[in-house]
Amino acid sequence: MIGILFGVIVPYIAVAIFVLGVIYRIVNWANSAVPLKIPTTGGQQKSLPFIKRTIYDRFDSPYTWWETAGRMLLEIFFFRSLLKNTRYYLDRVSQKDARWLWLFGILFHYSLLLVLIRHSRFFLQPVPSFVEMLSDIEAFKGVFIPQVYISGLAIVAALFLLWFRRIFLSRERTLSLPSDHFALILLLAITISGNLIRYFFKANLELVKELLANLMIFNISKAAAIADQIEPIFYVHFLLACFLLAYFPFSKLMHAGGVFFTPTRNMPNDNRARRHVNPWDPEPTAPIFTKGITVAGRTFKSKKLDWDTYYEMYRDQLDEIAEGDYMIVPEEL
Amino acid sequence: MEEAPEKIEIRQRFPSWKEMLKPVKKFEEGRVSYLSLPKQVDSEFFKMPFGDVERSLDDLKLPDNWKEIFLDAMKETLEKNRAFKLFMDICVRCGACADKCHYYIGTGDPKNMPVARAELIRSIYRRYFTPAGKIFGELAGARELTEDVIRELYYYAYQCSLCRRCSLFCPYGIDTAEIVWWLRRMLSRIGLNQRFSTISIEASARTGNHLGLLPGGMAGAIQQGLEELKDITGFDLHTYINKKGADVLFVAPSADYFATPHWFVMLGYLLLFNELEEKYGITITWSTYASEGGNFGTFHSYEAAQLLNSKIYKEAERLGVSFIIGGECGHMWRDKHQFINTMNLPPKHEEWKRFWEDPDLGEIAEGLRGIRFDSYASGEHGWIHILEFVAALIEHKKIEIDKSRNDHWVATYHDPCNVARGMGLIEEPRYVLRNVMNKFYEMPEHTIREKTYCCGAGGGMLADEIMDLRMRGVMPRMMAARHVFKKYGVNILLTPCAIDKAQFPTALEYWKIPIEVGGPMEMVGNALVLTAFGEKPEDRQYDLRGDPIREGSGGE
Repeated sequence: MIGILFGVIVPYIAVAIFVLGVIYRIVNWANSAVPLKIPTTGGQQKSLPFIKRTIYDRFDSPYTWWETAGRMLLEIFFFRSLLKNTRYYLDRVSQKDARWLWLFGILFHYSLLLVLIRHSRFFLQPVPSFVEMLSDIEAFKGVFIPQVYISGLAIVAALFLLWFRRIFLSRERTLSLPSDHFALILLLAITISGNLIRYFFKANLELVKELLANLMIFNISKAAAIADQIEPIFYVHFLLACFLLAYFPFSKLMHAGGVFFTPTRNMPNDNRARRHVNPWDPEPTAPIFTKGITVAGRTFKSKKLDWDTYYEMYRDQLDEIAEGDYMIVPEEL
Repeated sequence: MEEAPEKIEIRQRFPSWKEMLKPVKKFEEGRVSYLSLPKQVDSEFFKMPFGDVERSLDDLKLPDNWKEIFLDAMKETLEKNRAFKLFMDICVRCGACADKCHYYIGTGDPKNMPVARAELIRSIYRRYFTPAGKIFGELAGARELTEDVIRELYYYAYQCSLCRRCSLFCPYGIDTAEIVWWLRRMLSRIGLNQRFSTISIEASARTGNHLGLLPGGMAGAIQQGLEELKDITGFDLHTYINKKGADVLFVAPSADYFATPHWFVMLGYLLLFNELEEKYGITITWSTYASEGGNFGTFHSYEAAQLLNSKIYKEAERLGVSFIIGGECGHMWRDKHQFINTMNLPPKHEEWKRFWEDPDLGEIAEGLRGIRFDSYASGEHGWIHILEFVAALIEHKKIEIDKSRNDHWVATYHDPCNVARGMGLIEEPRYVLRNVMNKFYEMPEHTIREKTYCCGAGGGMLADEIMDLRMRGVMPRMMAARHVFKKYGVNILLTPCAIDKAQFPTALEYWKIPIEVGGPMEMVGNALVLTAFGEKPEDRQYDLRGDPIREGSGGE
């Protein structure tokens, strides 16, 4: 019975929430308009031919599609903006490195990537050779018995380091909401329990793989039967992971998807070459305020200062300028 | 003018997350902007919702259903601006932005950390727009919208200069400027506007420029500039205003017509235009209708920005110019680079179209052939920065420069935030400065280029009543300036931004750094040899400030 609940029902629900939730969030973002082209330019713009741009300028102030894609890739794979981090000290003019956050972040995310790749062996039959190879490499195959996967330990270390930042640094402590601690604790619980069932309280991983294989082909009765045979300790790890999946779309963890949508990073700095059209004001023949905005049933309309209105208002002075043939010369003394 | 205190103490506080969710009730003196008066926001040309009531922070006099209006405005914003929506959702509060804000560095107020500033409105977003916030409330970092919260939102929304320094360091590019800009727009829907920026917006909507200068006043100011130039150079110079059929429309921030040290930049423009017309026959005109390059609407809302910048393309069309040159201004160039051609339809008249088909200055004046703009600009936009223009003239050897005329200046260059981070104009001013003067030194690397510190007065923060905030916000920049003053003997801080030029003289005096402020075009004006008028390099005795250029020269 426990097997059916924890091994079949919960994961199905969790995956469903995860998939639908992520799709919902992404569609939701995508449906929101982008009124302006607002890249944050972190380097020299493309301008006159003799103004030289370095390779960094091309990525930090991208002009073409490719440069923009390069900027996004650097951001996603190397956390380039974080790498620029500096810390301000009141008593000095020089800058000091403060790239620990970058280091911890990279350590965590790449460990996570390796861990996820290693977990793909539970879902794929046969196990792809690159998964085997990566696992062998990171375990320094043959050095330790049983094999110790570095990424599994590194991810725990990285999570602790990230958490210590939030606990011991005063600024970060002030900024951290309960949800920030919660996400870290949840991930810590998952990774620690994962390590425990690998090295200390061994679960029958062959059965786990069989369970997942049956879940994936919706062979529910078989899956339920297998689920009952797996050791309870496995379910600690498994349920936490399911919870994480369900929690993911509604939390800040969605930054993983959101980073692709950031208008300050994913738009090229080519405003002067190509016009960006605002979807909710595509043909701006007159300013919105002069057409009027409606708030709480009342319409507020500003008068339009077009040239004719302007001329009517300041006719004398404008005519005087016209009399001088629109030329200003120093007054004769 | 309110005075900033003689001594500044930076008290850093680190309250708990719970305390951070509670609205601040006590506002520091010298950091609260005044609310707008009816004459600014209930004017014929700038009518804002519920602008007809005089308000103060103690008595907001909000409309009856203010909560509904505010949340509706927020819902609208979430639909209308993906950046705002995304930035509400994806922040992980890593803290990378925290000490990047000059206001946070200067005040130590925890809610001035960019992430905390965004959290002020994010907490409202969670409460009313996310399931987690609705269910878990405070535990999910959500809070109720109350009048105290509105007051706090106003207080902190107007302690941000929209400089985007935080955005540069954010791993997701979260742009506090975008959040604050749209938050100010929401606040404006319930009748809360900042007095300082709306004074200028209203004036610009009514007269064409922030100062409220009428056509005659503007013409008179320029005329006075020509008279001063006659004293300095000895030549009868001229310029055009509202001239139909001119080749180029020139648009400067209106401060250049009056304020100091903007004035010397204005003289620089006039010298350059005269030399170019006399030598090559290119005519450049000013306009009284489009007499404002700056756009305080960009501190207020999308629609206000559009209201102000809509005039310029119309004027370009009316005058029949081929393209537009913009003067030295910071936020103006965020507006002119990133906003103007989205908010308005670019001109479509004959001269414009013809020029941009093959944008070579040779099509306007044969002598300038070879200077092209099509490597980065098109007729869908049509604006060229004056320093790009000058850089091209220098590169193509179209103007004669005598660098030694600037030898009495030892300069450093401050990158205006919007020009550096909203446009990417970084090398052109340096190219120009290296070519017009011999002594030019950079401030420390982490305070210039795209990492430049704000002057502490942008984004509507130039108001006198927030002098304390301004003097604190400018501190990082001042420390960098002091560094080069001591190390290289720098005696002038150059910046192509009108707000910088207004803020720095006060700030340098406050922080006791005895250096001058100016703009790159002033240096260009000093060094420019008016060959077309028969001037020889050694002829000029005085710089644009009327000071002798060479020791022992010019003394009567």
